[in-house]
Amino acid sequence: MVRSRVSAAGCFGRGLKQSLSKPYLAAWLWLMQLLLATVLVLPVSNALHSLLDASSTGSRMVADPDYGWWETVRRTHPDLLGKLPGEIEHAVGVEGVKSSGLAELQGIGATAISLAFLGIVLHAFALGGVFGALREPQASLVVFGREGMRRFPAFLAFTLGAMAAVLAAYRWIYLQTGEAWRDRLNDLDTEGQAMALTAARLTAFLLVAAAVKLVADSVRAIWVARPDLPAVSRLFAGVAAAFSRPARLLGVLLLYVLSGAALYALWIVLDPSAGGEARFALVPLILTQQIFVFLRSLLKVGYYAGISEALTRVPSPEYSYGPPPAVDLPLSVDRAPDETPLEGPSGAI
Amino acid sequence: MPRAKGGSSLLALAGNALPALLAIATSSSAAAVPFTKPIASYQISCRLDAEKKAVEGTELLTWTNTTTRSASTLQFHLYLNAFRNTFSTFWRESGGEHRGNRLPESWGSIELTRMTLADGSDLLAALTYISPDDGNPYDRTVAEIQLPRPVGPGETISISIDFRSRLPRVSSRTGWKGDFFLVAQWFPKIGVLQEKGWNCHQFHAQSEYFADFGDYDVSIDVPARYRGKVGATGVRVEERALPGDRILYRFRQESVHDFAWTADPGYLVIEDVFREPGVADTQIHLFLQPEHSRQAARYLKSVKEAMSGYGRVLGPYPYSTLTIVDPPWGAYGAGGMEYPTFITGGTHRIAPESVRSPETVTIHEFGHQYFYGLLASNEFEEPWLDEGFNQYMEARVVGAAYGIEHPFLEVFGWRVEVHVPMRTPVDTNRRYFAATTVDALASPAWKFRNRTSYGAHVYSKTALVMSTLERLIGTPTMNRALRLYADRWRFKHPTTVDWIAAVNDATGHDWRWFFDRTFFSSGAVDYAVEEATSERANPPKGMFESDGRLEEKVPRELAAPRGWDTLVTVTRRGDVAMPVEVLLRFEGGKTYRSSWDGEGRWKKFRVANGPKLAEAVVDPGEKILLDLDRTNNGRLVTADPRAASRWTARAVFWMQNLIDFLTLAW
Repeated sequence: MVRSRVSAAGCFGRGLKQSLSKPYLAAWLWLMQLLLATVLVLPVSNALHSLLDASSTGSRMVADPDYGWWETVRRTHPDLLGKLPGEIEHAVGVEGVKSSGLAELQGIGATAISLAFLGIVLHAFALGGVFGALREPQASLVVFGREGMRRFPAFLAFTLGAMAAVLAAYRWIYLQTGEAWRDRLNDLDTEGQAMALTAARLTAFLLVAAAVKLVADSVRAIWVARPDLPAVSRLFAGVAAAFSRPARLLGVLLLYVLSGAALYALWIVLDPSAGGEARFALVPLILTQQIFVFLRSLLKVGYYAGISEALTRVPSPEYSYGPPPAVDLPLSVDRAPDETPLEGPSGAI
Repeated sequence: MPRAKGGSSLLALAGNALPALLAIATSSSAAAVPFTKPIASYQISCRLDAEKKAVEGTELLTWTNTTTRSASTLQFHLYLNAFRNTFSTFWRESGGEHRGNRLPESWGSIELTRMTLADGSDLLAALTYISPDDGNPYDRTVAEIQLPRPVGPGETISISIDFRSRLPRVSSRTGWKGDFFLVAQWFPKIGVLQEKGWNCHQFHAQSEYFADFGDYDVSIDVPARYRGKVGATGVRVEERALPGDRILYRFRQESVHDFAWTADPGYLVIEDVFREPGVADTQIHLFLQPEHSRQAARYLKSVKEAMSGYGRVLGPYPYSTLTIVDPPWGAYGAGGMEYPTFITGGTHRIAPESVRSPETVTIHEFGHQYFYGLLASNEFEEPWLDEGFNQYMEARVVGAAYGIEHPFLEVFGWRVEVHVPMRTPVDTNRRYFAATTVDALASPAWKFRNRTSYGAHVYSKTALVMSTLERLIGTPTMNRALRLYADRWRFKHPTTVDWIAAVNDATGHDWRWFFDRTFFSSGAVDYAVEEATSERANPPKGMFESDGRLEEKVPRELAAPRGWDTLVTVTRRGDVAMPVEVLLRFEGGKTYRSSWDGEGRWKKFRVANGPKLAEAVVDPGEKILLDLDRTNNGRLVTADPRAASRWTARAVFWMQNLIDFLTLAW
């Protein structure tokens, strides 16, 4: 009898394998994001062509950004972006961004945020497809679509619920503490202490957000894995599953975030967009960008597969993704030491 | 370089041996000769009550009436009363904010408990509060004293004053935080008597100060835990232990017009010397917060760059000492401020070198030793003469010493450079363009519409005006004008008229038109190339003279193959006219330059039968830095879609990433 330990890295690695074996899932995510983004092509392109094509500044900007041009366009064409750049700056600042900032958006900036919200809705659909297709040995794009549609109402509800929870955490844990402690921060002896407090606020928020995400993803994974259960039971089973394996799930999430950050760091270092045509002509540049987005989508699918691995690979083989084993194995064979068997009847899904 | 080798040994030296070193270094300077005849001199003895955050003092003011008229009254600044309550003019104007931060509800005040003439006659009974700027009956920042007998022209009087100052929690340039003190605007200070009367303004949210030169001799009694950690205007001439676990420091400085001091037991005190051939040494005292200890070298390098850079253009820094104060966390309202021979900087715990903090603030505040310190213009009435001129010079010094600047993002308190080059000074002063026509630059400090407009005009517009002037007359001539102005008005109170006179004298031309359109106008400058076309010249048609007859036949010489007919229209979109150059660049590399006085609303440039035009540019040398939209200054004949296409691709890519980011957490 082999008693194997299921590690976060193992789950994430197997998730990536799953992702690579079904690349059309990542391709769908990529396509969805591309289609949404291309809504902006015409307004952005028209605006830029009218501003740059005949301008001498344009030829300077083929290679590199021009600070003066950017500042001038923001000032002279407030209808283009509204206060989107400022809101993005706030979002990464100590002060944070508030929902009232939405009222300041205009033009392309407002459209971009609307598209992003639409992206969130479509993402809920895509997750149904991803989780469903991952469980099918012979899945296809049709299966993806069917699974996505089948679970869309529930997954949208999970997405909106998680979104509300994360935004509430951002408001109450990050923003409100910042407001409440502003004067006390100034009373601290050193900036180091103040930075530590800000880091603590940020960490607390990120931990809560991570917990919310993991619970939501667990619910999604169990929702797909246990169609035999009533909806409420699946919901509770998902929540319980998240709390039964917190370290492993958090590990998978951490690996996903770190590998994503590494991918972004690589992009920033290589920066194919800079340097003008001497480095990348337009078509190779677009291809490189889209390859990056596709790789990022592969990682994303890998993460969801990893989460499913972490939750459903064991103890019941019928919950795992591979074909059912030829011989029934005792429940203890693949169970990790820290694992609790899932409740409920085992059977074909 | 610091005197001791290595950071830790340097700090150890500062902590232990500094008082002795200072005594040696400063004793020879104690008997310095004044650079100018004193008008208002002060001998002050004060005692810091660190627990009550209060300073009690006795002041002996010696004042000379340098006007041709008798003075029957005296006017005094009592600036700390700006923090007395929310009815003060300062508080009303600030809206309870300073530099974007909320003012703490911590109150400050200054009370006079005795005021007598040398013969003992009491003046306090005749004290009234006045509000010459806004009539605010609750403001207590200016007091007027009725004298028992007028002070005649050339006459000198002495007044003895006892006062009690209560400091506010640091918010705006003065106050305390914990054990840290920046004690500024803290003593009763006489106004400036001019031929037209007293010039003594209230304390405003957006203005600074104006005072006469004099000699200061100030003794400061502090608790013994502040031993070696007290810095001030001037040269330290005495350190003496006092009974009751206290210690006294005495500072003297001739020919200055204000006095500020600081104390913080937490300071690391670092000594250095600025030394340059042909210039007297200057002792630099850096009072640094321990958590910024790694930035000591950056502070010192930047201040030396400033001393050298400003000195070469405006003449050497004349004083033997300079004190730099690094305020602690939570006391940044004390930072970025200037007093004679004493400046406050400011930095953050994490300050990447590429972000240039504390460098720029240190260079800027040192620059005020000239524009405010030596060239003591009226900061209330003509704030551009100190802040704007200094902003201009700061850009020159920073550019020469550190090169290209970059914008930065604050990511959860960590400043991260954005790798986009900024051109100095136009990009670093872009805030002017967001408030171009809101106010005329030449307005008193407290009469700008708001703080944004004040900053945009007083700092940024002035810097752009000065840089534009430099580009129009050339850097050597600009330097001559600056030096002439600095030499003429050192230790005096120059005005804008004096600056214009210096420019006219240095250039040999009358530049009043330029200042009328910049300093004294709220108009905007904007030139644009409205159209640029180049079309194949059509063969001529019609009737032409040939052998004295009119025939419908094109003569051979006119029928020859023709080039391109070019038409360029340059327009003046802004209200303000400036002379501009126009550059036509043709295919094949030929160029044609022309100039336009810029007075009309438009001007057309035609080139017949020439090469094909590639590009037309107005102000190609970027001399007119006040041009608020440079993106319309150049026009291509053949559109180049490459930049727009590439940036569209980037925008789509960023959008994809934004969608992904927003789906990350749920």
